[in-house]
Amino acid sequence: MAPFLTRREALGGAAAALVLASCGGGDPPPDTGPRPGSGAALLGSLLALEHAVAAAYATCEEVLTGDALRNTRAIAAQEREHVTRLQDLIRDLGGDPPAGRSAAEYARTFPRLREPGDALAFAEDLEQRQVRAYLEALTELPDLGLRSAAAEIGAEEGAQLAAVRVLLGLPAAQGPFVTGAL
Amino acid sequence: MAERSDVEILEDLLALENRLISAYEAALRRDAIDVALGETLRDHEQEHARALEQALRHAGRRSPRASVPTPELTAALRSRASFARYALELEAEALAAYTEAAAAIRNSRLRQPLGSIMACEAAHRIALREAVGERTLVD
Repeated sequence: MAPFLTRREALGGAAAALVLASCGGGDPPPDTGPRPGSGAALLGSLLALEHAVAAAYATCEEVLTGDALRNTRAIAAQEREHVTRLQDLIRDLGGDPPAGRSAAEYARTFPRLREPGDALAFAEDLEQRQVRAYLEALTELPDLGLRSAAAEIGAEEGAQLAAVRVLLGLPAAQGPFVTGAL
Repeated sequence: MAERSDVEILEDLLALENRLISAYEAALRRDAIDVALGETLRDHEQEHARALEQALRHAGRRSPRASVPTPELTAALRSRASFARYALELEAEALAAYTEAAAAIRNSRLRQPLGSIMACEAAHRIALREAVGERTLVD
């Protein structure tokens, strides 16, 4: 393991950890509705993360301009589509999708983003965590239809991660396996 | 359509990877892609192919089939722009195949690693879109 973190790594990693801690992933699953093991609780956790990430992009946009702003707006629009899709899936299972928190509540957990590099580093780490979350869900979700949805959203998260890396001046693909290997 | 077995899913993915490797190798030989980008994409596909071959060996299968250059590839090699369009389509095909496979494969231990290749193929499409000068990289 590298003995030192760059400022970019420290900012992205620590801030994303804060977001995850605040996004409701540790909230108890809904106590009515879908049967245990249906996948609704896991989808609820993914939805809570999507809510937090959508709020994070709104904050990132405040310091971005040009191509970076254009691309993060496009990514944020996709994240809102993911929110809608997950809400529909949870309702289809008889569940009640968890609501997001207020913008002010999310904002309290976000780092101060002083320049575009700060915002993009934060976004990169959030996208890494989202990709990992959807790939882990592929193992856990019990139903082919739910796994297909998770894979489709995960593929879009992979593209978003790559786009953010390009905006940071990094190679789009960080390696042959984004997480794990066969 | 009949459901495919896990071995059939892996064999189909390996065939796609072999097409991608052949395409990037041909493009590098013909200067139809930036060298650094072409080598990176080819190397990633080779790693994917090796991993799939290993999974197939675990399933008791030997690696199948070599791929033959298609007329579409031959035509695409005429310029960097036409090869980029061809590669974007082939990567889209690979992305769709991995997205389907990562959800459908019965061996749950293979779903996450197949998903990790899926995310890499998604990144390849972004790299190619950047290479052709697209300024908005996600749809």
